[in-house]
Amino acid sequence: MGKYILKRFGYLLMVTVILSFILFMIYSLVPANRAYTDAQTEFKAMKNSIPKGEADKVLADLYLKYQRMYGTDTNNRVIRYLRWVGVYPLYNGKFDGLLEGNFGYSYDYKAPVVQMVKNPMLNTIKINIWATVIALAITIPLGIHCAVKRGSKRDQAVQVFTIIGYSLPTFLIAILFIWFFCGKLHLFPTNGMGTPGNTYTGFRKFADEMYYMALPLIVTTFCSLGGMTRYVRASMIDALSLDCIKTARAKGLREKVVIYSHAFRNALIPIVSLVVGWFLGIFGGSIMVENIFGWNGMGRIMITALRSADYDVVMLMQMFYIVISLLGTLLIDIIYGLVDPRVRVNK
Amino acid sequence: MSNKTEEKKKAASKPARRGWFGHLFHSASAEFADEMDAARAADVEAIVSPSRQIVNNFFERKLAVGALALLIIMFIVMFVGPLFMPKYKDSYTDVTQQNMAPNMSLMKVPKELKNDIKTIDGYGTFTVGLSNAGKVYVWGSTQLGTTGIDIGDIPEEVRNAKIAMVAAGYDHIIAIGEDGKIYGWGAWQLGQYDTEAEYLARGKETDPNIEFLSEDLRQNGVDVSHVKKLICGYQISCILMDDGSFHLWGNKRTYANMDLFLRTPSLDDIAFTLNYIVGLNGQHKTIYTGSRDLFTLVKDNVNSPAVKTSEFLGDRTIEALTATNKSVALTLSDGSVAFSGDFNLDCTPAPTLAEDEDYVQIVGGAYHYSALTNKGNVYSWGQNELDQTDLPKSTAGVTKLYHGSNQTYGVNDAGQLVTSWGLKGYLFGTDTRGANIFQRIIQGGKMTMTVGAVAVIISSVIGIIIGCVSGYFGGKIDIFLMRVAEIFSAIPFLPFAMILSAVMGHMNISETMRIFIIMCILGVLTWPGLARLVRGQVLLARESEYVTAAKSMGVKESVIAFKHILPNVMSVILVSLMLDFGTCMLTESSLSYLGFGVQYPRPTWGNMLNGANNATIINAFWWEWVFTSLFLAVTTICINIVGDALRDVMDPKSSAEK
Repeated sequence: MGKYILKRFGYLLMVTVILSFILFMIYSLVPANRAYTDAQTEFKAMKNSIPKGEADKVLADLYLKYQRMYGTDTNNRVIRYLRWVGVYPLYNGKFDGLLEGNFGYSYDYKAPVVQMVKNPMLNTIKINIWATVIALAITIPLGIHCAVKRGSKRDQAVQVFTIIGYSLPTFLIAILFIWFFCGKLHLFPTNGMGTPGNTYTGFRKFADEMYYMALPLIVTTFCSLGGMTRYVRASMIDALSLDCIKTARAKGLREKVVIYSHAFRNALIPIVSLVVGWFLGIFGGSIMVENIFGWNGMGRIMITALRSADYDVVMLMQMFYIVISLLGTLLIDIIYGLVDPRVRVNK
Repeated sequence: MSNKTEEKKKAASKPARRGWFGHLFHSASAEFADEMDAARAADVEAIVSPSRQIVNNFFERKLAVGALALLIIMFIVMFVGPLFMPKYKDSYTDVTQQNMAPNMSLMKVPKELKNDIKTIDGYGTFTVGLSNAGKVYVWGSTQLGTTGIDIGDIPEEVRNAKIAMVAAGYDHIIAIGEDGKIYGWGAWQLGQYDTEAEYLARGKETDPNIEFLSEDLRQNGVDVSHVKKLICGYQISCILMDDGSFHLWGNKRTYANMDLFLRTPSLDDIAFTLNYIVGLNGQHKTIYTGSRDLFTLVKDNVNSPAVKTSEFLGDRTIEALTATNKSVALTLSDGSVAFSGDFNLDCTPAPTLAEDEDYVQIVGGAYHYSALTNKGNVYSWGQNELDQTDLPKSTAGVTKLYHGSNQTYGVNDAGQLVTSWGLKGYLFGTDTRGANIFQRIIQGGKMTMTVGAVAVIISSVIGIIIGCVSGYFGGKIDIFLMRVAEIFSAIPFLPFAMILSAVMGHMNISETMRIFIIMCILGVLTWPGLARLVRGQVLLARESEYVTAAKSMGVKESVIAFKHILPNVMSVILVSLMLDFGTCMLTESSLSYLGFGVQYPRPTWGNMLNGANNATIINAFWWEWVFTSLFLAVTTICINIVGDALRDVMDPKSSAEK
């Protein structure tokens, strides 16, 4: 097991490096020259104090200074990439990259990326934990029910609804819900994260937060209902056709025991993998929902950074997403092995 | 006996070359039947090939068949529909037609007015008419934006009074009673018809950019018998008297030269384009605008070269002005017409009249002109995007023309409506830019489906090749290719596609190229799923007897992989393609909705919903998202239902259990 995990980690590392390289190369296609812009800005600020005739030289010096600072004083993109990672020294022999803890600087927020991402991350996690819990609480009983009563009118109705549910894009559901809950019923606010300028504390603060979180939460949950229900139903149907279920029934066990104790345990394995994948997704956040409802989370940061070409942020977020999804697959494989003794991971 | 062998030879000499699809639907049984006696063939026919069984099973599912039919209709509409809209332009905008609710009665003159028309006038989304009995009627799209004002609600005092003149602006109507009293209704927020005192009484602060209706005019009215012209523009109104004096009021922000006109003592004619006031002063030699460079060049037709006004006129003089949003038509003293201002290149040109034919009347809508000559002929010219210049077959009997913003009404001597032509309305309303949503949905559907289809084709080509190679050859190739697939599936889809799109945005490439790259991005990011599916199927098929047989016959490896195995896994691939098509369409819509996919002016269902991102629009302008969403939702739901049903009927286990 240990060897297997080690092997997988090695592989994970390799994929991360390859993807980060690809990403870095894609970014270097963008015709943006941060060193030059910064040099220009500083040059303009000190323009009056520069003696005549030396303007060009001063600008060139400044440009070089910034290029050195950002590690772009070479046209070799591979070297730039290595510097960004932090395994190739800058002009002065120092290392300053991801490995040294330099995750970049956000030009929009005028702060290091890590510091800037902290709050949105918490917001995203907050909303997603709720969404996961609620979605699971609805989909697992519903999926089991549909699988047990397979082919019944109710099952068919749920099937149609789930197809509709996962065929609709998130933004469409969001528009519909805003129209219905805000426009018609006037139940919830359409965006924001709390009453502006409030000084609530304790329970009042929590209630206010939940009030603002309600609609994005409903949309997030609703969007996952269709797919999840179908998944649970499918794995439950597979589990119900196992021989052990026939045996259990033949033994004369009560139907409830057969379903919940025998069948569901077998169905749990694929469900667990789904939930794990999902749980990791909670760090990523939903770009669409956060953008529509003005929820200050990871997805929103990503979009604003993309729109304003704040590429340090975008890069880091992208790497973060990749690592999360790779870790997710690894975790799923390991948990498969732990939950289901029939799956031999170290094979 | 010999007979039979001959037949066999015949059959062998022309082997039925059937493609993959042929194999799908005619299993060996059909070929076998060729060689059988007619009587025994009937028994063989009863054995149904698995593929045919699948088709039969599929057609037993009513929901799936309905969805398939709907999907096919959708496809036909989206790909054939654009052929019927030759006038459609991606970047078409019209400020006077923004946010109009679905309405097909823009040209429907009320029954009571039809035989008793005194005047008709329209500037924006609605048209106002006046009967000889002095009653006012309003038709068209009467809801004014988000203000909640319905301009069709004619005030009580107007309904009770006998009205002598009426004119419509962009969002207000001005009427003058027989007694000279001035009435106004509609939007008032920018001083369309209030005096300063009335405006303040509504709880607003006074605004230096508004020229209010004067208190004197409100109290004493005007002498109706001396009013030469009552005319309204975009939030502006003017009463021109026959002694040349005039009253002008409204929103100064929309008319840059309004201040100059307020200082002008007298005019012989006045008209409003969208941004400028044009007038005619004493000498009748130039168009008076108060500023230097406006409307100084004149041409004799909409598409001919322009010359300086003085050179063009010679010793002729300008008699009257008719304005549309961007241009002015000048009626000259010799009965001919000249034009000044901007005309689109594809405008319908004005007709060349015969020697003895002169214009009697010219009216101007938003972008078109209609004219009547002394021979009783009617002509229309100008922009034709909204059918403004498509004359009806017969215009006989028309002796007077009236205009709406995009309509022309022909009336006879008795005041009866003879005919009308122009824009009937918008089936699905218009969007924030004034474009026809119905047309954009059809065009956008074409784009959305094309992007989805091309993306799926790209992804399936990659996926099938890699899956086949990986599954059939196995070993190191398999491990390598599957690792590559894993890397690709580790890329979070939406963020990555957005990044690529954003990076492209900073590069200098054409929109068509951009769209093609977006298709490629979608295709390249979705292949791993299909590749794995194909690989799994190929792994199963590799062990089957027919492959062993082919191998023992010495068939080449690549031929076995692509010609023997692939057709047998085709059915599974088809289902996956169907579902992937839906996914690609959804992804494209999401990307475009966020502004990282196909961008305005090219319509797709995603970027058409882009505007519906705040509660005000979602609630007030429901038509701007309901129809587009409906089309998108119906299409993707149908795709998924059909794909799902196909998968179910292809799974032998599920049908056996039933």
